[in-house]
Amino acid sequence: MGSLTKKKTLAIMALSAMIGLLLLPIVVSVPALASGGGAPAGGPPPDVVKKEGGEGDKDKKIEKARDVYYKTEGIVSGLPAPKTGDNSKDYPRYNFESRVLLWFANQQHLYYGSFVLAVPIFCMVIEFMGVMTKDKAMGKKYDQLAYDFIKISLTAYSLTAILGGILIFTFLTLYPAFFGYLSSIFRPVMHIYALMFVAESGTLYIYYYGWDKMKEGFLKWIHLSMSVILNVIGTVLMFLANSWIGFMMSPAGVDEQGRFLGNIWHVIHTALWNPLNVHRILGNMAFGGGVVAAYAAYRFLSSKTDEERAHYDWMGYIAMSLGVAFLIPLPLPATWLMREVYAYRQQMGITLMGGLLAWLFIIQATMIGILFLSTNYYLWQALGRMRGAERFQRWIKYFVFLLVCGFLVFITPHTMVMTPAELKAMGGQQHPVLGNYGVMSAKNGGINVIITTTVLTFIWYQRGNRVPSVSWSKFGNIFMGVFFFFAYVNIIWLAIYGYFIPANVRVGLSVPQVATTLSCLFFMTALNLSMLKGAKQIGPIEWGKISVRSQYALIMLATAFTWMMGLMGYIRSSVRLFWHVNEIMRDNSPWAYTHTVGFAANMISFNVLFFWISIMFVFWLGTLAAKKAPVEAKAPVPGQAPQPAVGH
Amino acid sequence: MVELIQAALDMGWPVLAFLACLFVYFQVSISDPVKKKQATFKTFIGMIAAFMLLMAIANYKINFFANSRLLPVSLAMITALAFMMGIYFTNIGALFKIGGFMFLVAAGLSGYGNWLPQVEGGFPPAEVKLDFGSMSAQQLADEGEKIIFGGIGQSKVQGAIGKGQCPLCHGFNEGFLSERAPNLWGVPDRAKTRLDDPRYHKGKPGDRDTEQKEASPGSGTAETGQEYIAESHACPSCFVVAGFGVKGTNDKQSPMPAIHKPPISLSLGELAAVDTWMYVREGKEAPSFEEITKAYEKFIPEADRPKQQEDKPAGAGGGVLATGEEPVDQIFQKATCVACHTIPGIAGAVGTIGPKLVEGTNAPTRIKDPAYKGTAKSTREYITESVINPSAYVVKGFPDNTMPKEFGKKLSAGALNKIVDYLSQLQEGKEPPKIS
Repeated sequence: MGSLTKKKTLAIMALSAMIGLLLLPIVVSVPALASGGGAPAGGPPPDVVKKEGGEGDKDKKIEKARDVYYKTEGIVSGLPAPKTGDNSKDYPRYNFESRVLLWFANQQHLYYGSFVLAVPIFCMVIEFMGVMTKDKAMGKKYDQLAYDFIKISLTAYSLTAILGGILIFTFLTLYPAFFGYLSSIFRPVMHIYALMFVAESGTLYIYYYGWDKMKEGFLKWIHLSMSVILNVIGTVLMFLANSWIGFMMSPAGVDEQGRFLGNIWHVIHTALWNPLNVHRILGNMAFGGGVVAAYAAYRFLSSKTDEERAHYDWMGYIAMSLGVAFLIPLPLPATWLMREVYAYRQQMGITLMGGLLAWLFIIQATMIGILFLSTNYYLWQALGRMRGAERFQRWIKYFVFLLVCGFLVFITPHTMVMTPAELKAMGGQQHPVLGNYGVMSAKNGGINVIITTTVLTFIWYQRGNRVPSVSWSKFGNIFMGVFFFFAYVNIIWLAIYGYFIPANVRVGLSVPQVATTLSCLFFMTALNLSMLKGAKQIGPIEWGKISVRSQYALIMLATAFTWMMGLMGYIRSSVRLFWHVNEIMRDNSPWAYTHTVGFAANMISFNVLFFWISIMFVFWLGTLAAKKAPVEAKAPVPGQAPQPAVGH
Repeated sequence: MVELIQAALDMGWPVLAFLACLFVYFQVSISDPVKKKQATFKTFIGMIAAFMLLMAIANYKINFFANSRLLPVSLAMITALAFMMGIYFTNIGALFKIGGFMFLVAAGLSGYGNWLPQVEGGFPPAEVKLDFGSMSAQQLADEGEKIIFGGIGQSKVQGAIGKGQCPLCHGFNEGFLSERAPNLWGVPDRAKTRLDDPRYHKGKPGDRDTEQKEASPGSGTAETGQEYIAESHACPSCFVVAGFGVKGTNDKQSPMPAIHKPPISLSLGELAAVDTWMYVREGKEAPSFEEITKAYEKFIPEADRPKQQEDKPAGAGGGVLATGEEPVDQIFQKATCVACHTIPGIAGAVGTIGPKLVEGTNAPTRIKDPAYKGTAKSTREYITESVINPSAYVVKGFPDNTMPKEFGKKLSAGALNKIVDYLSQLQEGKEPPKIS
């Protein structure tokens, strides 16, 4: 047996053993899960205990109740949700609002958690690209980039764990009754969560420290497989944590008194769990892309050499592209989530989008506009690093026009919640001029115009320094032009048509509008890529030769992502109003009201800035250890040679 | 502003003192006039920057919970000083510039949030103990308006909303667009016509194609308009008005929650108040409290009724004079009405301290009397009111404040209802009704 084969066998055995170890906690806990994980809510209730002791009156002692969501009958296996009072026993406090402290601890943990879950996904994708590319130099460059990414997340990982500990302590010390109830319901899930966290840490360390050892041949594939395992564990971790917030918003698996009914799957699989999971995965990716892009921008701005500038310019571009790639489909699971919210409780949906929290959605609309404007601005600036792209500059003003028009339509509200004085001042619930505008189909039209224009900008960017040379390029260009023209016509026409039909019919227009945008996104990007195969290069991409302003666009993107994440998290959490667990456990603390928009905005800003100050510290730590490169040779200086097509 | 400067100085005087000392030190130690000038300038700028930072922090410290719309100004101040510091410390200038830019973005977004109208969600509604059973129709209707819209007179205010959360989906005014749920104007009359809808399947709940056939096993369907209203509250999915079902269910499932269950959890009394308001605001005579609650009892089993029952006044169970299960003559006896009033048809009721109770004749004229201070509009309401609030109308020749004002608490809803029923039928010169 040759040494390589032996190495391979050992590697496979090690990987199998690791997978086995990872799955062990789940396998062990399956019987416990099936039986409801014992009696989670403070041990078996007295009547069940009596049943075990007595002989003849078994049936009499078993109490059954109906699941609030699934409507199935189950054996009562827990105590009711505690009825709290405004006292220091249920709500111990400092001379400060406990809710704000918890908000802070929660948000910081979430930011870091999202970051460390997103970055390994990037690493997996980029490492895979490095392995697959035929260009060896490019492959090493990707590999170096993936390594840089994981290095950043490693320091952030320990901070995530520390913040998680702080969060638990905050819960235990400030909301003991609520946390006691939640942990009694989720006891088995929390244990699995802890074990998965250990598994995640182990895998991450092996993945990071084994990078050098496993850089060639079959071992590289093993290394890549480990990144898949790492992401599977990370995703399961997030799903488990999501089940807690899903339960708080749309409880299931308990009866009306909050008593656990023995089926832990029901408790996890609540009405909002799945859409939350999908929405959060994409959201984390977009956020992670933003953070890495900001890191690259920071390194670019503080670079001393052209080589460094070129590398971090490229890194920023890749991170931004990945972030935006996940930002574009993000509205789809968001719509799914809202649809499920409406299906679960219509009044909850209306409180979100047309009631108490509606102004926050106006801020969200503005932020989505900012994100897309920043993305487009960055791409226009990025055209500046390509020789030959000058021919596109004159089109930018038309794109700006389309984007601004779309943005203005998108942020125009139709009806709003107002105070009587405001109503009187305005002369009704609708503004005399703007009230005629801002219906849903028009707003959908606005955002779809923005996204379609962003797709068009991206296609422009891909063609920056290249001219298609396939034989059917003329036909392809005409087809693409006609496709985009009719896409715009369709989106705008449906936006206008919405004013002439009833609201309940109008809502359905979003489907063809979104379908049009997605068609542009998928078909036109694919068409463009196939047209660019073997394309004629009319100039090099000079990585690093991009304006400083472009880097501020990346920072804008990152800050806006972070702010929007804080905003949407606040909206999602505050929609429960005065319930710890919706309709099951009431919040009787002195802070059971919803803050003003202004207070929420200040608090979100505080969280965002705290996160950025702390992560800047992490970045700085990263630069201290940046001396050693894990791969044999540094990547070639980008920009010195024309980049292959995959470089985009 | 003075308070802000004071707070900033209190907090950061050591920093400012240190910079001042540094300033003096540079004056003394540096002899080169160019370098001295540079150092002086830098220290001076440093002091301004430090003072700005302290002001920004003090602004947060003082106004954090005060809903001050000027809080984002602090962020703008920090932005300015971050850029200033970026010029100072050139080796980490990029970090300062990025930080400053982030503060600027955050200041903009925070400022935007503070510029928008400030809507604050109030505290959850307190669980008030009310004895709905002893209220007049108008009082009940007022409570109903509070439950639906959050206050008396709020039904005229757009966007007003109360514990019941009804206006989130329902329109209430004639001609108003109501896209999410039926407009409830005219519902007292319309409720009866719903029973004839072929999709309703009156008397045959099993034939319904809806997700839920009956409110509770064996409850059947509604037989009257009020029962229809009660059923639609207790079991919204038992019959869904065409076009208002959950999307994709073909009107087999309603998006409305059962409002006697959390999160809304209206008690039977509150439900009666809501229904009464819907009748009264259209100028229609509302069914009695007992009739309404009976309708709800048909569809909401005892075990499912909200827990507010526990919160009823202590007197309702233990300290009441009459529970309402007694015949009406016994109620008059137990409540000692007979001691002061003459009540035709009630044995021993020959008292003369209070007026003779022939309210079927008296009430209509007294309501029109200019001396009348109450709110009743019908005989029944007048009688209820005169038991709860005897001073609303004081009959000439009888002194005020003689009759106790606690009968509203001492009589159960059922007992009061029986009294009102009986007295409203008494007319001068006519035979009293039979006692049941």
